[in-house]
Amino acid sequence: MEQLFSGYMIYSLSFLLIFIALATILHLQFSIGGIVNFGIVGFWGLGMYAFALLNLKLNIPFVPAVLLASALTGIVSMALGRIILNLDDQAVLVGTLAFATIIEYLATTEKWLTNGVMGFGTIKFPFDLGANTLFVYFLVVLVFLILLMFYVSKIKTSPYGRLLLSIKDNEILSQSLGKPTFRHKIIFFTVTCSLIGFFGAMTAPLYNYIFPRMIGPGITFTIWIALMLGGRKKLLGGFIGILATIGLFDYVIETVVPIPTQYAEMVPNVKFALYGLTLMLVLMFRPLGILGDKKREVKG
Amino acid sequence: MTVSTFLSSTLVLGLLEAAPLVLAAVGFTLIFCLNGFINVAYSENITLGAYFAVIFNSILGWNFYLSIIPAALLSGVISVLTYLLLFRPAFKRGVGKTELIILSVGLSYFIRYGSKLLFGNDLYNFNFSSTSYLSFFGIGITTVQLACIGLVVIISLGIYLFIYKTNYGERMRALADNEELAMISGIDPIKVSILIWFIAGTAGGLAGLFYGAFSFVSSSLGWNLILIIIMVTIVGGIGSVRGALIASACVGIITSAVTLLSKPLYGEIVLLIIFIGILKLRKVRV
Amino acid sequence: MREKVLHLRNVIKRFGGRTVVDIKDITFGTHGIEGLIGPNGAGKTTLIGLISRKVSMDQGQILYYQDKNEMDISKKSLDELSRMGLVRTNQIIQDFESLSIRDSLLLSLANSKHEKFYNIFNEKELRKNTEKEIEKYLDYFNFEDPDGHALSAGEKKLLDIIRCMVLKPKFLLMDEPTAGLPHDQTDKVIELMKKKTKEEGMAILIVEHDLDLIWTVSENVYFMSEGEILIKGTPDEIRKNKTVINKYMGESEC
Repeated sequence: MEQLFSGYMIYSLSFLLIFIALATILHLQFSIGGIVNFGIVGFWGLGMYAFALLNLKLNIPFVPAVLLASALTGIVSMALGRIILNLDDQAVLVGTLAFATIIEYLATTEKWLTNGVMGFGTIKFPFDLGANTLFVYFLVVLVFLILLMFYVSKIKTSPYGRLLLSIKDNEILSQSLGKPTFRHKIIFFTVTCSLIGFFGAMTAPLYNYIFPRMIGPGITFTIWIALMLGGRKKLLGGFIGILATIGLFDYVIETVVPIPTQYAEMVPNVKFALYGLTLMLVLMFRPLGILGDKKREVKG
Repeated sequence: MTVSTFLSSTLVLGLLEAAPLVLAAVGFTLIFCLNGFINVAYSENITLGAYFAVIFNSILGWNFYLSIIPAALLSGVISVLTYLLLFRPAFKRGVGKTELIILSVGLSYFIRYGSKLLFGNDLYNFNFSSTSYLSFFGIGITTVQLACIGLVVIISLGIYLFIYKTNYGERMRALADNEELAMISGIDPIKVSILIWFIAGTAGGLAGLFYGAFSFVSSSLGWNLILIIIMVTIVGGIGSVRGALIASACVGIITSAVTLLSKPLYGEIVLLIIFIGILKLRKVRV
Repeated sequence: MREKVLHLRNVIKRFGGRTVVDIKDITFGTHGIEGLIGPNGAGKTTLIGLISRKVSMDQGQILYYQDKNEMDISKKSLDELSRMGLVRTNQIIQDFESLSIRDSLLLSLANSKHEKFYNIFNEKELRKNTEKEIEKYLDYFNFEDPDGHALSAGEKKLLDIIRCMVLKPKFLLMDEPTAGLPHDQTDKVIELMKKKTKEEGMAILIVEHDLDLIWTVSENVYFMSEGEILIKGTPDEIRKNKTVINKYMGESEC
């Protein structure tokens, strides 16, 4: 038991919180706002890189650097949103996916800024409390996650949430009731993407040292898989989903199950193959995930 | 570098790059045109095509050109299996368009990392019995590359003629246009769908195999290409095989031009930006 | 007679070289409820599509009058029109699948002040302010389960009409409003339309194939054929008009 709460585990748990936050934002974007964001890692990575550059290269203190990085992510996502948000779902999907790829490539090519594939560091925590630093930072992230969850749960029963659902369900009908849907979508996308950027910035000190391979498309897909598995229509869908995927593999199995070293390098492959299999099974047999109802909704 | 050598090398390198892309884009377009969703798992069809060729060529020691045949056929079979075992049941259950894409992401992960368990993290190369260099406008091309391009041209032409000129191709297009109408005129949708998925799988497998022949085979071979393939399909005009042909040639040339002018990866970045712009300009309804 | 609400001048719409709508000069809104009739293919649906910005115009001007101000609406978007008071009910059934009947009405009654991403605590306030209005409609139409979804086609159609009514539009376009509604509900809708036009000064333009409805509710009827509005007049005048009988009534009795 003691081992579960060792320094390394607090570290893993902090990552878990970050990913739960991303899955919850995806739930907000996809299941309430109807935006198929396949570029989560791009906004997350942008927030992380922007924060690290501001903090290390321009010596901007932690808090303003986090805020600036979130704002920058928001501005970039607004520009992207203006281009793609009045196209249909599949176009939004490939557009965001392409955006995330651009961010990953830029982090690689702009060596003068990011030191290319080698990456750069060292990103420090905002405070130094000796041995407790990591644990206190974990608590800070936890507080932000709880705030986020509260916000999402409130949105669901607010006029704003109703508006978002109406846009997702039937945009033209919503327009005919006087709602400027395109503008609403852009604002919503900007705000939620800057939240992703915020959690990206908050991730940077945990990584300490950042490089482009961290912001590959794998993260986007893992979060999608987690949300679909947990239940995309439920507030806790992302939470349950992340626990059942990343939590199970990176936390429980890697620490508790003794894996012989010769098989250790197989673990990630088994993990991702199982993710894929699970995702297929969920979509085929339980489309609303663990927390959802069994039946597929009948449309029309 | 003079302007003329730049132009000629861009053209040659671009077409070289584009050759397998043409096949992959045509195959991807076929499925998109028939079933109307972005099949991300098509990437694994490409990878598996290369792996099958690795089995016959590098492991069993067959001649490279000979191993193309079983590798292509097996890729087609795999493609049909994914259709029959996963996508067709999904259509029947009424899985939505966006969910279908996510479903194909799941399949892609399953196959990619599953095959990694079998083939490991190793990179494979093909054994070519004899290779020599030829020079084209100052660009060195191996005989293998030349043969691959020749095969790509022949195969794409074959698929093109098959789709646009034969009786069976007509049926396929009828089905893609209107399933109900196709049923009434006595076309069996399952048979035609199986045939389309088979041809698409074969084309994808061949594309992977040629990509592998130009460099090496790894488990992420197809995955690295899928975004470009999706772009080519969308830019080339949805469901238009002709459009896919032209767009993939352009993509090859643009990438090689930007890459020659600057650093690698810039080509891809430029392409992606152009792509997002085109999405908007043409208001493409994907 | 009232003040005109809409004025169409030289409005032309062509589809592939064929002129579908060609309106020289016509005004709407001078009577409480007006009807638009005409044979199939006369261009009725295209015309209201043009007014409600679902179809783009090739040529001409559509002017909208609000508090004596004249506005050209050909550049306005759908949502701007709705906020200006020009609203349309749908011919084909439209609904929000995630919203209950009550939610749908709350959505309709909420305005941009309520709908801000940073304002998530105003649900109670909105409910309190709109309760009376919503209950009035829910009671009047006697919905079985107002907190559930609209289930039948009739319920959805009715909800579509109420969603528009609560917006208190100045000019309401109704495209076959009673098609698919049960009889008792049709009567209630008609009564509501009459009440709204009398008490709240709403102007309504109905497009209908059910001529009985047109004769009973409209004060003024426009007859459209081959893209042009040929005749306008009271229901009685239109019923007896030779052109209308030749071009339309004969056909509908076949």
